[in-house]
Amino acid sequence: MSEFISPTLSYSLLSPILVVFAGAIIGVLIEAFASKSIRPIAQVSVSIGTLVLALVQVWRIRSSSSTTAAMGSVIIDGPGLLLQGSILIISIIAVFLIADTENFAAAPAAIPGSPEERESIARGQQVTEVFPLTLFAVAGMLIFPIASDLITLFVALEVLSLPLYLMAGLSRRRRLLSQESALKYFLLGAFSSAFFLFGAAYLYGYSGSISFAGIRDAVVGGTGNDVFLLIGIAFLSIGLLFKVGAVPFHAWTPDVYQGAPTPVTAFMAAATKVAAFGAMLRIYYTVFANAEWSWRPLITGIAIITMVFGSLVAISQRDVKRMLAYSSIAHAGFLLTGVIALNKAGLDASIYYLFAYGIASVGAFAVVTLVRDSAGEVTDLNRWAGLGKRSPWVATSFATFLLAFAGIPLTSGFIGKFSIFSAAYESGATAVVIAGVLSSAIAAFFYIRVIVLMFFSDPLEDATSVLIPSILTRITVLFSVVVTIFLGVFPSPLLDFISNIAIFIR
Amino acid sequence: MNYLTLIMAIPLLGAALIAMLPQSKSLLAKQFALVTTLIAAVATIFMTTKFERSNTALQFVESYDWIKAFGIKYAVGVDGIALVLILMTALLTPIVVLAGWNESEGGRWSTKTFYILILVLQTMSFGVFAATDVFLFYVFFEAMLVPVYFLIGGYGSGERSAAAVKFLLYSLFGGLLMLASIIALYVLSGEQGGHTFDIAALSQLEMSSTTQNMLFLGFFIAFAIKAPLFPFHTWLPDAAKSATPGTSVLLLGVLDKVGTFGMIRYCLTLFPEASKTFTPVIITLSVISILYGAFLAIGAKDIKRLIAYTSISHFGFITLGIFAMTTQAQSGATLYMFNHGFSTAALFLVAGWMISRRGSSTIADFGGLQRVTPVMAWSFFIAGMSSLALPGLSSFVSEFLVLVGTFTRYPVAAVIATFGIVLAALYILIPVQRALHGPTEPGNENLKDLNLREKIAIAPVIAVIVVLGFYPAPALNIINPAAAQVVSQMGFTDPLPTHGGK
Amino acid sequence: MLVNNGLVYLIALPLFGSALLLLAGRRADRWGHLFATAMSAMSFVLGAVQFYEMLGRDAENRAVTQKLFTWISVGSFNVDAGLLLDQLSICFVLLITGVGTLIHIYSIAYMDHDKDRRRFFAYLNLFIAAMLLLVMGDSYLNLYVGWEGVGLASYLLIGFWNQKPAYATASKKAFIANRVGDMGLSFAIMIAFATMGTVSFIGVQEAAEGSSQGALTAIGLMLLLAATGKSAQFPLQAWLGDAMAGPTPVSALIHAATMVTAGVYLITRSNFIFDAAPTAQLLVVIVGAITLLFGAIIGTAKDDIKKALAASTMSQIGYMVLATGLGPVGYAFAIMHLLTHGFFKAGMFLGAGSVMHGTGDEVNMRKFGGIRHFMPVTFATFGLGYLAILGVPPFAGFYSKDKIIETAFYSGGIKGILIGSIALFGAALTAFYMTRVMILTFAGTPRYDINNPPHESSFLMLLPMGILAIGSVTSGFLLARGEALVHWLEPLFHAHEGHGPEILPPVVISLMALTVVIIGASFAWFKYGRGPVADTAPTNVSIFTRIARRDLLQDDFNESVFMRPGQALTRLIVKTDDVVVDGTVRGVAAATLGSGAALRSSQTGFVRSYAALIVIGAIALIAAIWAVTL
Repeated sequence: MSEFISPTLSYSLLSPILVVFAGAIIGVLIEAFASKSIRPIAQVSVSIGTLVLALVQVWRIRSSSSTTAAMGSVIIDGPGLLLQGSILIISIIAVFLIADTENFAAAPAAIPGSPEERESIARGQQVTEVFPLTLFAVAGMLIFPIASDLITLFVALEVLSLPLYLMAGLSRRRRLLSQESALKYFLLGAFSSAFFLFGAAYLYGYSGSISFAGIRDAVVGGTGNDVFLLIGIAFLSIGLLFKVGAVPFHAWTPDVYQGAPTPVTAFMAAATKVAAFGAMLRIYYTVFANAEWSWRPLITGIAIITMVFGSLVAISQRDVKRMLAYSSIAHAGFLLTGVIALNKAGLDASIYYLFAYGIASVGAFAVVTLVRDSAGEVTDLNRWAGLGKRSPWVATSFATFLLAFAGIPLTSGFIGKFSIFSAAYESGATAVVIAGVLSSAIAAFFYIRVIVLMFFSDPLEDATSVLIPSILTRITVLFSVVVTIFLGVFPSPLLDFISNIAIFIR
Repeated sequence: MNYLTLIMAIPLLGAALIAMLPQSKSLLAKQFALVTTLIAAVATIFMTTKFERSNTALQFVESYDWIKAFGIKYAVGVDGIALVLILMTALLTPIVVLAGWNESEGGRWSTKTFYILILVLQTMSFGVFAATDVFLFYVFFEAMLVPVYFLIGGYGSGERSAAAVKFLLYSLFGGLLMLASIIALYVLSGEQGGHTFDIAALSQLEMSSTTQNMLFLGFFIAFAIKAPLFPFHTWLPDAAKSATPGTSVLLLGVLDKVGTFGMIRYCLTLFPEASKTFTPVIITLSVISILYGAFLAIGAKDIKRLIAYTSISHFGFITLGIFAMTTQAQSGATLYMFNHGFSTAALFLVAGWMISRRGSSTIADFGGLQRVTPVMAWSFFIAGMSSLALPGLSSFVSEFLVLVGTFTRYPVAAVIATFGIVLAALYILIPVQRALHGPTEPGNENLKDLNLREKIAIAPVIAVIVVLGFYPAPALNIINPAAAQVVSQMGFTDPLPTHGGK
Repeated sequence: MLVNNGLVYLIALPLFGSALLLLAGRRADRWGHLFATAMSAMSFVLGAVQFYEMLGRDAENRAVTQKLFTWISVGSFNVDAGLLLDQLSICFVLLITGVGTLIHIYSIAYMDHDKDRRRFFAYLNLFIAAMLLLVMGDSYLNLYVGWEGVGLASYLLIGFWNQKPAYATASKKAFIANRVGDMGLSFAIMIAFATMGTVSFIGVQEAAEGSSQGALTAIGLMLLLAATGKSAQFPLQAWLGDAMAGPTPVSALIHAATMVTAGVYLITRSNFIFDAAPTAQLLVVIVGAITLLFGAIIGTAKDDIKKALAASTMSQIGYMVLATGLGPVGYAFAIMHLLTHGFFKAGMFLGAGSVMHGTGDEVNMRKFGGIRHFMPVTFATFGLGYLAILGVPPFAGFYSKDKIIETAFYSGGIKGILIGSIALFGAALTAFYMTRVMILTFAGTPRYDINNPPHESSFLMLLPMGILAIGSVTSGFLLARGEALVHWLEPLFHAHEGHGPEILPPVVISLMALTVVIIGASFAWFKYGRGPVADTAPTNVSIFTRIARRDLLQDDFNESVFMRPGQALTRLIVKTDDVVVDGTVRGVAAATLGSGAALRSSQTGFVRSYAALIVIGAIALIAAIWAVTL
């Protein structure tokens, strides 16, 4: 009987993850034992505290790197840490939105319209399990981009997904829609996870190893059966492409974005993308790099289809959340060009783009939470008409985000687009750049349509009112606007910071 | 601080001050705007006096790192061509502010916002002409759209938002094509010793002729849309019709010049070979624009659209001059840009006053104004005469230079283009007859003539038109060296007289 | 060449007058007309002084120049704002300022009733300035400025009463027709610069020798085009008749004496081009010949006294153009006829104006008759002009016109005989229609309400008429005496090479001319002089008369060949722009939207279809990988 080898963990390097997990568990305990009255405030402060602490940890270890932090199952390196940082920042401002519990079902467990639900509402009780769920998801996201073997990757994937499935169903209004979306998300997520596992199995079969290093060596060595490798790459990609919402694995995005409570949508849209693309970048840049002849054409094709499809369909949307969903699909396409670039510039650009886009979309959804009528949020675009007249500041900030999405100069989006496209062009992917430029033109069309709607058309009778934003929401919006503009005008600090430390170690 | 940065800062400063004013103080906002633009104008004139004419190098040069990671600099500097365009912008803006004193009233938003937009636009216009870093230029080029977009959509009339969107999408499309080319340049520069956007450096790049042609097209189409050149022009009439007169002046007088200016500064400098390759096509398009725009103008029923169409014809002349590659044509083209700014300004401002008084922009609704409002009628008439390039008025000099310069290299094109002067007579005299002559149509009997403010606004424009018509030297002396420089850099020399002569 | 820095004032004074009157507005109403007249008179005085000094110098250095400043200078294209006053231009300067001043004086009275008199005088001054620049510019480009300047003045004056739509249209028509001609001028300048590298008269003259036949011919033809526009020569003659919409003094000054003769000046000034380009020269002759008949024929059919005179002007200028086409010998005679014509035609127009003034702005000669009894002075002055234009010795026309006919005959061969006869026939026609005018207006029985008969015009109007009448009597003799004008102009033209064979002695030709004139006149007398004249134009007339009344269908031609097709083209282009060009743009937008909506339908909302989509995607992916890696 072989003796037990005690694992050696470098806690400092893992601290961000551990902190978040700890915070999540505390959250669960609060939910279980703390008295109703203090629960919300306690939850909010715990979550935010945790995330901030984690962020501080990330900052402190920013320049360190190690392959052995957790027995070789995670890699701590520049890109990983940058992505973790982005995820944490995005999560913090997302939590600010979530903190406005008014959006969430009082008793999510209760059947919609059931006596229990009515009763719980009447008693004004409000469960707050969304916070620990968020933290669990964040923890999963933190691991996802730094995982260095297939098992860890899969575990991380599930850890970040499962809470999201639940959170999608927590909406207070339009409960059925919300729950439907949650179910869809869950089923399709499970489905894609299956593909993911399938692919992992093939890769193991190909390389006889589950560690990225092992697989990479096999790829470099070129030993083993290419068929296994190719199927492995294909199916693994499906799992990842599903998460980033690339065509044709995007179908869930609009429904879930629309159904889920808007703060959750914001969190999903931003943080999940960062995590998923983080993982993708690591895998394609390090593991499959030498097999690019096999996957690069595919991803190129998918990227083009995705950006064009997303832009085209977004035009015909009448619902702001669905519109943003399709725009996020289009952006997934743009981000894929970063993967295709397969060079340092592409890596830096992708990381920058992810951060900029994440912040902007949280901001955008934050604005969505503010536009309401008696029945809650108004997401029908036609009823956003004349918003600019009634509440110029809200409209202006939304316009800022839209301009950033459209990639207008002096916004973060423009620098992102420029850097990621130039990286792709550098690597010879001209086609994708052309497609990107053209679909940006299409995309501009619907972003501008919304601006026109807000500023140039007169409000309808059944006027929507704009909620006086809670202080936290206000912070979120303001922060997002500032970052979006600042990164558009003075991107240098961040760009330099990224390019200095964003180096994958193997 | 460097002059260029200074004159770019002045309007921005003014905008900031206006932003701090309370909403109610709209008159104060107007006065602030006027003062700011006047200061900017004075500063620019002062700068012009400091400009060394003989020196063909860029002047008032200034350069700081902006985005080091991409080798992007805040780099500005002007040659004669850029300078006169900046001067034009600086002179036109206060006139626009004064002339359109009440334009902001009909708007969706406050007077404040209107003038903030105008001033921001002015800064960007300065920037776009001054930039010597392609990326910086692109940023101004695109960012400029936003204020104009809001000026049209927010303060225009009629189908204003539709027109604004059409304008924006058209321009964005062109801009994105240009962005693709810029990205390619950036990458090429990276491969050939360090990322940069400095025009001078980029003009040294090695590229295959195919690449050069593709990149050239990216830039050229963007500029052809801005200018606008047939067949990329259809946004202009709508925009001009919907925008306020002042905005139209800035739109046609200043913004559209970015297109023709860009052709000189970027298409020619960065892609000399491709420019030569495409010259036949471009000359053809220019000639078509000249006649096509003229015919559209003759057929126009709406006075603002008419002016817009005449500009399409005029931009045809400018583009023709740019690509004819003789010193006369090149200088003529730049002088044309300058003069067109003023003659169009005169036309639009007076037309604007006519329209606001009559409450209609349909030519047929006017009639016999010469006897009701003589001063207004005369201003319009003189503006029209300068638009049809009557000798003795500024635009004649530029138009003739373009024609004679083109003739020495492309006689056929010049000959066809010359037919434009007959069409010009038609498209000016038809509205003149309908609106100013004939019996006073009902509804025009008691229109008020120009008031003092309006007279003060139009006087300098007409003065410039007349003075430069008789004595264009001040402008030409600035332009000539730069224009000659462009031609020689392209490896061209003026064709010599074919026989005898001296 | 001598420099004289005073030249500019000739132009500056009237220009200043015009500017002042326009800017001062109503404030100048009271003294404006006097000021303008003074300006014109002063520049006449300056002109006279110049002329006097010129007489004092010997032939070689009579010409004086002045360079004001460098106007346009780009690369090798250098044009000074420079003036040149030589033997040729001085003739025009004196004519313009002299007749101009007289007509200013005349207009003081004539326009007395018009509340816009000040504006009228501003325009007159503007015209004087522009016309002086035209004849004093030292390069084709400077000439061009004056050229379009007089066009503008003419436009403004024809449309002076533009509240009448017809008048506004007439002014527009004149401007457009002139612009077509101007196009020719700019072509000429371009060719000159491209081939000779200069556009100044002296430069071109020097370069002309070395230049190719083709270039010279091209320039010549383009100059001719310009001339036809400004001088209402075939085929650009159509505007002159309508131009009579302007106040009569304008018709006298601009559309008889001065502006319309600018074409003759241009050709004469460019003698070095035409002498070296026979083809162009031949075409000049042809144009002149056609126009002199064209105008004369129209003249026979017009009942509107001004239109009749306008037609006559067209025809007389035809004579001048014809003469310029006859080479060195012709130029001097062209100028001579131009000057004499300036006197008698201006005089007759003023006479017509006086008649209109007396009859309440009636222009239809069929409503006149027997006016000599009421307006003796007008009759006398008009009559002298009449004798002059007929070429009755010793009146002015006799010297100038006979010389032209003579030169035509002597120009050699069939051509000579042909154009000679045409000129002769023209003389007959002239006699006919002018006699007709005389009879219808002054002779016969009154055809108007006898109770308020026409009244003689005021002194201010009669004075200029008188002076011009004297001119119409004496000018011919003075200019022809000892070939004064010919010698005066000689230095400008190539050595006075002898003309072709004298197929007939001059006396014979003069007699022939006199005979045809008598025939023409008496024919008119037979037709109108004997019985009473219908006060409405008879309608049962031959097709030829009808065509003649319709100005030989010139307008019908222009309308059906240029105007209507042009309008159709415009409509077509406007439609194209909307449907095709902008349509494409809209189409692309619509297509984009459409495809978006179409793709949207893939979003069914059913998990099963989403899952199916994923499976399909997976299969596609595998397939693609296969494709890529095989």
